[in-house]
Amino acid sequence: MKKFLVILMALSLMVTSVFANGNKEDKPITIEFWTHEDANRQLLEDRYIKEFQDMHPNVKINVTRQAATSMIELVQTAFAAGSGPTVFNLSINDEYPLIAAGRVAPVDYAAIGYKDAAELEAAYMDGMLAPVTYEGDIYGLPLELTNWAIFINKKVFRDAGLDPEKDYPKTWEEMADISEKIAIRDGDILIRRGFDFRYPYYLEAFVPMVEQLGGALFSEDGTEAIVGEDAWVKFLTFMQEWGPNGRNLGSPTYTNARSLFNKDNNDIAMANTGLYQEARIKNDNIDFYNSGEWMVVPFPVFEDAVNDVAACYYGHYYMVNADADAATQEMAWEFIQYMLSHGEEYLETVQIIQPTKALMESDTYKNMPYSDVFTQDFARAHIVYHAENSTEVNALIRAAVEAVMLQNVEPKKAYQDLKKAVQELIDEG
Amino acid sequence: MALMLKSKDKTVSTKTKEKAVSNERIKPKRYSIERKEARWGFVFTIPCLVFFAIFAFYPIIYAFITSLTDRRAISRTWSFSGLENYIYIFTKDNGGFPLSNSIRATLVFTLGTFIPMIIISLIVAVFLMQLRKNRQRAFFQFVYYTPAVLSSVVAATIWMILFDPRGLVNQFSNFVLGTSGVDYNWLVNSTMLQISTMLVYFWKYIGYFVILFITGLAAIPPTIYEAATVDGASRWKSFWRITLPLLKPTTVMVSIMAMLQCLKTFSTQYMFHQGGAARRPIDVITMNIYFTGIRNGRLGRACAMSIVLFCIMLILSYLQLAFTRSAEEVEY
Repeated sequence: MKKFLVILMALSLMVTSVFANGNKEDKPITIEFWTHEDANRQLLEDRYIKEFQDMHPNVKINVTRQAATSMIELVQTAFAAGSGPTVFNLSINDEYPLIAAGRVAPVDYAAIGYKDAAELEAAYMDGMLAPVTYEGDIYGLPLELTNWAIFINKKVFRDAGLDPEKDYPKTWEEMADISEKIAIRDGDILIRRGFDFRYPYYLEAFVPMVEQLGGALFSEDGTEAIVGEDAWVKFLTFMQEWGPNGRNLGSPTYTNARSLFNKDNNDIAMANTGLYQEARIKNDNIDFYNSGEWMVVPFPVFEDAVNDVAACYYGHYYMVNADADAATQEMAWEFIQYMLSHGEEYLETVQIIQPTKALMESDTYKNMPYSDVFTQDFARAHIVYHAENSTEVNALIRAAVEAVMLQNVEPKKAYQDLKKAVQELIDEG
Repeated sequence: MALMLKSKDKTVSTKTKEKAVSNERIKPKRYSIERKEARWGFVFTIPCLVFFAIFAFYPIIYAFITSLTDRRAISRTWSFSGLENYIYIFTKDNGGFPLSNSIRATLVFTLGTFIPMIIISLIVAVFLMQLRKNRQRAFFQFVYYTPAVLSSVVAATIWMILFDPRGLVNQFSNFVLGTSGVDYNWLVNSTMLQISTMLVYFWKYIGYFVILFITGLAAIPPTIYEAATVDGASRWKSFWRITLPLLKPTTVMVSIMAMLQCLKTFSTQYMFHQGGAARRPIDVITMNIYFTGIRNGRLGRACAMSIVLFCIMLILSYLQLAFTRSAEEVEY
C-alpha cells in the first residue's frame, strides 16, 4: 500500500508539473524590447525597465535602440526571419501592415487594467486608437502622438531685418519669400537657410500641402491614385522652385534643418518639427532654450488653399509580437502599461504626448511653451496615411519631389510618373 | 574461319592478359603518397565545403525557390507563382523603380569604376615597385590600403560630409578650377551623383588592388628583367614586353574580382540616398533588391532580382575568363 501511495504521489507530481501553466510570476520571461533612439526618453525608460524587473524578478527585459529611420527595416527583417522583438514601436504607417498581416497581438485589456476596448478608448482622446483598431480589436498603445509646427529662431529673423512676431510666414509663398530674405549665399552655396523641409517624411508634411490645394493621395473610393492634377503639379512646381534648380532656398542634400536649429549657429531660421523638439533644444543647448529667442507658429497654408490642413499627426504605438507565448504577451502588455502610466513624466522630460484625456487636460501640458499652437494644429490635421503600401507610397512621393528638385524634371512629367507608379501599386493590391 | 576466330580469341585473350598485367603494375599507384595526401587534402577542405554549402549554395537555392513564390516579408503564408516575378520585373515599373534602370545604373557604375581602377592600380603598383627603399614602399602601400580597412558605411559617411555643398570637395573644386562659390552639385545632378559614388568606391578599393598587383609583380623573376637590360631593352619596352604579359594571370584575377565587387556595390549608394540624394540615378540592382525586399517587403520579387544579378555576374565572369583563357599559359 505504501509503495502504491508513493508511486501515486510521484505520478501526481509529474502530472501537475507537466500540465500546469505555472504562475506568471514564477516562469522566467524574456522580453526583447526594440525602440528608436531618443537620449531623453532612454533615461526614463531605462529606469522603468529596472523598476519593472524589480517588481517582477522572473522578467528579463533586453532593450535594443536603433535610429528611427532604420527601425522599420530591422523589425520587418526580423519578422520575415520569424524572430521579431516581443515589444517594439514604429511609426503607424509602418505598423499598420503588421496589424493587417496578423503579426501583432491585440491588447490584453485585463493585463493593462481595463475591462474592454470601449473602456480603453474612453481613456484616450477621440480617434487616437482608431489607427490601431482592426476588426474590433485594439493592437497598440500610443507612446507618442505627434504633429509638427514651425520653430523659429528670432535672432536670425532680426538679423535679416525681420520682426519674428509680425513677419513669421502664414503662407507657403511667404515662407519662400522670407527664406529668400534670410538666405546668405556664397555663390550658389547656401551658408544660411531660412527654412527647409523634413525631406524623408513626405506623407506627414508634404501630402497636407497638396491637400491644401484640393488634391489627395487617393480618391474617396480608393480606386484612383494621386488625385487632382492641378494641385499636385502646383505643389511639385513649388518644390522645384524651392530647390537648387529654382530659387535655391534648400535641398535634401543639406544637413537637415531640425538638427541645426538647436545649435543656434546662425545657419537656419526655421524648422518643421514637433513639441518634443523643445526637450531636445533644452538638452542640446540650454542657453538657447532659456534665452526666449525661439518661438513656434502654425503650419502654413498656400495663399489659394481650398482646405485648411496642418501637417499630419502620426503615432508611435507600442505593440506586442503575436508569436510570443501567452504568458510573455500578458507580461509585455503589463510592461507597456507600466511605462505609459508615467505620461506626465514623459511629457515633462521628453515632451512627447501620449494622448490620454487626462494628460491633454493636465496643467503640465497646458503650461508647456507653445502647446496651444500644437493643440490648434491638431484640430486642423488628420492622421497620416497608413496602409499596407504606405512605405512604398512615401518612397514614390519622395522620388517625384527629388525628380523636380534635384534632376530638374518637369513637374507635369513627375506628376504623371508618380500617378502611374502609385496607381500600379493600388491596382496590384 | 574457325581458325581465324580462334586466333582472334587468342589475340583478345593475350590483350586482356597484358591489360591485367599492366593494371597490376598500375595498381600500386592508387596507394601512392600523392594520392594519400590528396585524400587528406580533401578531408581538410570538407569544413570549407560545408561552410560554403550552408552560407553560399543554400541561400542561392533558397533565393531561387523564393523567387518563384509571392512571398512577402511579414505574411505568414505564400504560394508558388511560377515565373510571375520574373515577368513582372522585366515588364513592369516595380513601383517606379524598374529593374531596367537598375541594370543601367549597375553597368554604368561597374564600367566607370572597375576599368579605371584596374589601370590606375596597375600603374601605382608598378610605380611602387620602382621604389628602391622597402620602407618607402611599405609606407605607400599602407597609405593606399588604409581606406580598404574602413567599413563601407563609414567611408560613405565621410564622403557625404565632404560632398556637402559647403564641404571640402566643393571648396577644392572651386580652388582648382579658379571659381568662387560654385556648387558642383556632387549629390544633386544625376551625372555628378554617379561620379561621386564611383569616386568613393575608387578611393576605398584602389589600395586593395594595388597590393594584389604588387604581389603579381613580385612573382616575376628579376632575371628576366636583367636579361632584357643586357639586351638593351628600355624600361618602357620591358613594361610592355615583360611585365604586362607575365602579369596577365594577376590582371585577369584582379579584373574579375573588381568587376564582381562593383556589380555588388550597395553601401555607398544606400548611404547617399539616405543622406538625401535622389535614388533613380544610383539605384543599382542591389539597392533595388534591398528596397523591394526589405523596405517594401516583397521578398519573392526581390529574390527574382537577386537571381538576375547572379546570372549577370556569372555571364560576365565567364565572358571575361573566355576572352583571357590564354592567361593560364603564362610560364616564367
